[in-house]
Formats: sequence, structure tokens, C-alpha cells
Amino acid sequence: MMAWKWMRYSGLLLIPLAWGHVLIQDVLVGVDRIDLNYVSMRWAYLGWRIYDLFLLVFALAHGINGLRQVALDFVSKKKIRLVNQAAYVYWLVLVLFGIAALVGGVRKP
Amino acid sequence: MSVKAMTNLITYRGGVGQLSFVLHRVTGLGILLFLVIHVVDTSTVFFFPSLYADAIAVYRSVPFMIGEIFLVFSIIYHGVNGARIAIFDLALVKNWGTKSQHNSAIWTLVIAIVLWLPAAFIMGRNVLEKLGI
Repeated sequence: MMAWKWMRYSGLLLIPLAWGHVLIQDVLVGVDRIDLNYVSMRWAYLGWRIYDLFLLVFALAHGINGLRQVALDFVSKKKIRLVNQAAYVYWLVLVLFGIAALVGGVRKP
Repeated sequence: MSVKAMTNLITYRGGVGQLSFVLHRVTGLGILLFLVIHVVDTSTVFFFPSLYADAIAVYRSVPFMIGEIFLVFSIIYHGVNGARIAIFDLALVKNWGTKSQHNSAIWTLVIAIVLWLPAAFIMGRNVLEKLGI
């Protein structure tokens, strides 16, 4: 029930977060104008870093929980614990990786 | 194996309901696949800043720009369909029925395509520009 509620509430939150991100970066700015300078300019504003932090944590948790639920449709009962633990570790590693970059910021080569 | 036997194999209950279930799963898994790659590539700005330009160069290639257009469709469809599911489950439980599910699933597809077309137009124009057309 927790996971069920989680998918619905986090999903509703992700609609403005993810759509906003995609509209700005993919449609309005476009990949041809994105480079290290663009990222450091964006991350100069704390607000955008917090926006990206929310997106990172919520999108990964929503997506990996979805992957976990798909996986649970295909494995036997004995493997449920393993799938749950693997999903948790996968989420944690990626989130920590992303947070390190968000906090550390752009390092000019 | 005959064609009918093969379609039977992948059909659960068929129709709009199954189409919407499959689309939600496929778009969700596709978005997650990209999300994981995207978290890793963006992290290079801190861990290996000299590699970031190489990662972006891949996204600037024509096949990835076309893939990006489908990614945007996936994000729009998954969002609209997810909102439909969440609203029915959290607020409109009384209205839940086979008829309302069938109609709303069709509306979801229509709304997603309408929202996607302007984005696809802008992004498609960028692809054509890159090809020099």
C-alpha cells in the first residue's frame, strides 16, 4: 500500500518537475546549446540545484520502484527479497552519485 | 506458429485497456533507462569534466535526436496516463468503471499526442536543420 500510494503522489509531483525540465532543456534550449558552461551557469542558481535534486531523488525512486514492480511480476516468491534489496541499492548508488555531482558542481577541466 | 497463435500468446485481454497498460510500462522502462544514463552523463561534470563534451556529442547525433523526440512522447504519455490513474484512484473511485476506464484511456492517448506534436515539430525542425534540409 505504501508503494502504491508512493507511485501516485510522486507521479503527480513529477508531472510539473519532469515536464518543466524536458520543455526547457530539450525543446526550448535544445541539446546543441548545452555544454559545461551552460550547466555551470544553470547551477550558479541554488534554486535550479534544488530543482534538480528533487528531480533526481523523486524520478529515480519512482522509476526504480516501477522497475521493481515489473520485475516482481516475473520472479518466483523466493526472489522477492532479493529484488527489493537490489532495487534499493540501485537507487541509493545512483542518487549518491548524482548528489555528489550536484553538490560538487561543475569542475572546469 | 501461426500469426493468430502468436498474437494470442502476447494478448492478455486485448483492446484499449491492455494497450494502455503496455504503453505505460514500456514508456516507463524506457524513461528509466534514459534517466540512469542521464544521471551518469551529467555526473561527469564533477567527476570527469573533460568527458562531458563527448557525452553531449553523442546526444547531438541525429539518431539520438530522433530518439529524444520519442523520449519526449514517452514522458508526456506516461505523465498523462499516470495522472489519469492517480486521479481515478485517489479522487474519483466512485466513477471507476469499465466504461470510464475505456473512454479515459482513449482521451489520454489523444491528449498526449496533441501535447507532443508542437514539441515534436520544434525538435524535428532541429533534426532537419542538422541534416541540412
